[in-house]
Amino acid sequence: MFAPITLEILVLALGFILLLAESFSNSTSKRSLAKIAIFCLGWVFAFSFFVESAPAHPEPGSFWNFYSADTVSMVFKRIALLTTIIVLVMALEYEAVLAKNIPSARTGAGTGEFFILPLFTCTGLMLLASAMDLVMAFAALELVTISFYVLVAYMRGSHTSLEAGVKYLILGALSTGFFVYGITWIFGLTGETHFAKIALKLAALQGSDTAILFALVLVLVGLGFKVAAVPFQSWVPDVYQGAPTPVTAFLSVGSKAAGFLLLLRVLEPFLGVAALSSKILLVLTVLAGATLIFGNLAALPQNNLKRLLAYSSVGHAGYLLMAIACVGVAPSALGSVGSTVGFYLFAYLLMTLLSFLILTIASQHTKGEEIQHFNGLSRRSPFLAFGLLVAMSSLAGVPLTAGFYGKFLVFAQAVNAHQWTLLALGTVTVGAGFYFYLRVVAAMYWAEPTDSSPIHVSGLSKFVIALLVTGIFVFGVNPKPVLAALQSSPAPLAATAH
Amino acid sequence: MNPLTLNHYLLASGLLFSLGFAGVMLRRNIITIFMCLELMLNAANLSLVAFSRFHVGMDGLPNYNAQVLVFFIITVAAAEVAVGLAIIVALYRARQTTHVEDIQSLKF
Repeated sequence: MFAPITLEILVLALGFILLLAESFSNSTSKRSLAKIAIFCLGWVFAFSFFVESAPAHPEPGSFWNFYSADTVSMVFKRIALLTTIIVLVMALEYEAVLAKNIPSARTGAGTGEFFILPLFTCTGLMLLASAMDLVMAFAALELVTISFYVLVAYMRGSHTSLEAGVKYLILGALSTGFFVYGITWIFGLTGETHFAKIALKLAALQGSDTAILFALVLVLVGLGFKVAAVPFQSWVPDVYQGAPTPVTAFLSVGSKAAGFLLLLRVLEPFLGVAALSSKILLVLTVLAGATLIFGNLAALPQNNLKRLLAYSSVGHAGYLLMAIACVGVAPSALGSVGSTVGFYLFAYLLMTLLSFLILTIASQHTKGEEIQHFNGLSRRSPFLAFGLLVAMSSLAGVPLTAGFYGKFLVFAQAVNAHQWTLLALGTVTVGAGFYFYLRVVAAMYWAEPTDSSPIHVSGLSKFVIALLVTGIFVFGVNPKPVLAALQSSPAPLAATAH
Repeated sequence: MNPLTLNHYLLASGLLFSLGFAGVMLRRNIITIFMCLELMLNAANLSLVAFSRFHVGMDGLPNYNAQVLVFFIITVAAAEVAVGLAIIVALYRARQTTHVEDIQSLKF
């Protein structure tokens, strides 16, 4: 048995070794770097099932006060690893586009880091999953964000990639500013940076409700940017459309998972303040409602598939926020919300990565990312069309898919919490979702292709697509394994409070 | 003359933060916007140090946790500037401009 931190150290070491190997090798093809990374991350993923768990009562001042390895963190670590592996597979498919858009003396030069930087993002995501202290959470979040700045702007020859990079840079740094200022006020009020200790101090604090709300609102603004909640979503469509497709996929899954996990961890101490919890829940309800409406309605007129998926990502943030807004006032209720959010994110990972992987492969042959370019895809490649059909159905929430069960859990939560307004909004927006997701399916199956040459798919991608499709069905019919992994968490915060 | 209290520092840091935010919203040059963003981070640093100095513990020492966080923020800000300026330079090479109005080719 090894300490859980070994996983992060392994991924980080792999990143450094590959960076060194890249700079000393003369080979023009960088594909082997990605293959080595995929292979090693696969091993780290397997390894993650064999690490020891955190002690229930860590000594004061020890490392375990900053870092937890409860079951929820382990599930999020595996989500991060899985996402990174699939993003690297996507990056391999994307290499031709990448090489074309990077000005260099030799074609293919300068693409190496594109395969290595996701490893550092992955390290950040994994550390964030375990962070029990605001300092650690901040450092991990910034490791994720800064490596994303580079990845989004990676195609130096493409105006859209650079433009997306600058937009992401400015708004990402702005959200960091708000988040840090919020942390400052939380520290000022409590004198602590550890989540559990903050909870104790906040519960004992009397008569400074305004200051507590001010701190929380600043943090919520910062995290609202990360999870793409309305009204902080304005960067999402532009950045998603302009960034290289594998990075868009990584952003929409990794960055969102990180943001929601941090949101849950930060909210927990604040919901313990009895006088404030109703106000906080009202703010969350308004955010969730606005995000649901905007994300799903703005997606209706979109013709660009990448942009459509961006709005869809905003819409799904709405469902996740809806689950969080339905948390009861009792402190133990956050446990069940945690598992709902965890399952929804897992389902979201499967279907979003599947759509982006197929988008990456197909758009190179169709020479475009508009929906009309996908006309008649079923005749050019039945396999890809079926994969996209499954992904779109799951995103829309067709029964027997993982996406449906995720939405079912969220709606059940809303019924339990008597959140009827959100429930009504959720139902209407699911209806809107059916329209714009199935429009893509209609184009693939019922429209005539302009060019009917078959599309070749590499073996590795075929394997990953098959795996994701199977995952969507298996976890849609039998979601128990994931839920069980999320629920057996023995209340980590209560245990480390003293 | 009155001694400086925590409120004076918080007021100064609040002013810095608002100035930075106003700059991000109103200015049109990306480099200026970026400098305003750094101003916001430094506002947080100032109030953290102030909070640390005025949170005196049992042993009469300030609470050093906040000052450790300040070092993290300074490091992160430096990394952000390094990456950010590189991206802005790349943008300037490609488009010969650093003005917000000129980079709207992606539709809103």
